[in-house]
Amino acid sequence: MERQSNREGIKGWLNPGRYGLERVAYWLMRLTGLGLLVYFIAHVFETSSIVNGKEAWQKMLELTQTTEGHIILTIVIGMCVFHTANGIRVMLGQGGVGVGKPGRPDYPYKPASLNSRHKLCILASIGLAALAMMYGLAVLFGE
Amino acid sequence: MQESVIMKIHYGTALGAVVLVAIHILFRMTQNFSESLQYESVIANYHFLPYAIMLELILILLSVHGFNGLRVILIELKQGVGYEKAVNYGCIAGIAVLVAYGSRTILMAGFGM
Repeated sequence: MERQSNREGIKGWLNPGRYGLERVAYWLMRLTGLGLLVYFIAHVFETSSIVNGKEAWQKMLELTQTTEGHIILTIVIGMCVFHTANGIRVMLGQGGVGVGKPGRPDYPYKPASLNSRHKLCILASIGLAALAMMYGLAVLFGE
Repeated sequence: MQESVIMKIHYGTALGAVVLVAIHILFRMTQNFSESLQYESVIANYHFLPYAIMLELILILLSVHGFNGLRVILIELKQGVGYEKAVNYGCIAGIAVLVAYGSRTILMAGFGM
């Protein structure tokens, strides 16, 4: 019964405040992953219109090459860059890179793996995503 | 399959997809973005065999990576033998449908069907 009450489900998953920046990165990683999967499925579907000829393709372009379409694409660029950069950080971390040396757990029990190097990488991932989004906006709206 | 093997596949597909998607985006940059999306330009891309093979690889890598990521998220949220089996088979079906649908586009556009 008590175990059941500890299950927060999606609310616990969505709470970014309790465990600091690493929790925000965990949350953003999943959110961007789901967003990119939705975009990928939609992209496979939209590009399939090419097999129906030039007219169908132009109709699809009219739907996607709009201000809203460009904004969605800019968000996708940001999600893609964050997911890639943070994913590389996670991979390196799981491989033991940048997680520090194991030591005796002393008060205040700060885990060596949640260190400034990884925090910096998370912030750099967010910064890179913002820069890529700005570049994407310039390309998409600069024409 | 062991979860550790699945995670190696997850990371492998991620690294492969990063490289290939970068090439895919660079192809759009070889000309003006809106020009690169014109019907003739896109069809020419599909007719270029190495590019079509690359698109197929991207399709497989991203489908496996994306649906495995979804599987991990769903299993993190809830556990249970029946539930996990349903999630696993659901994600495999998702990969199969997406790869089949995308491959159909690549083949039909590539061979002018």
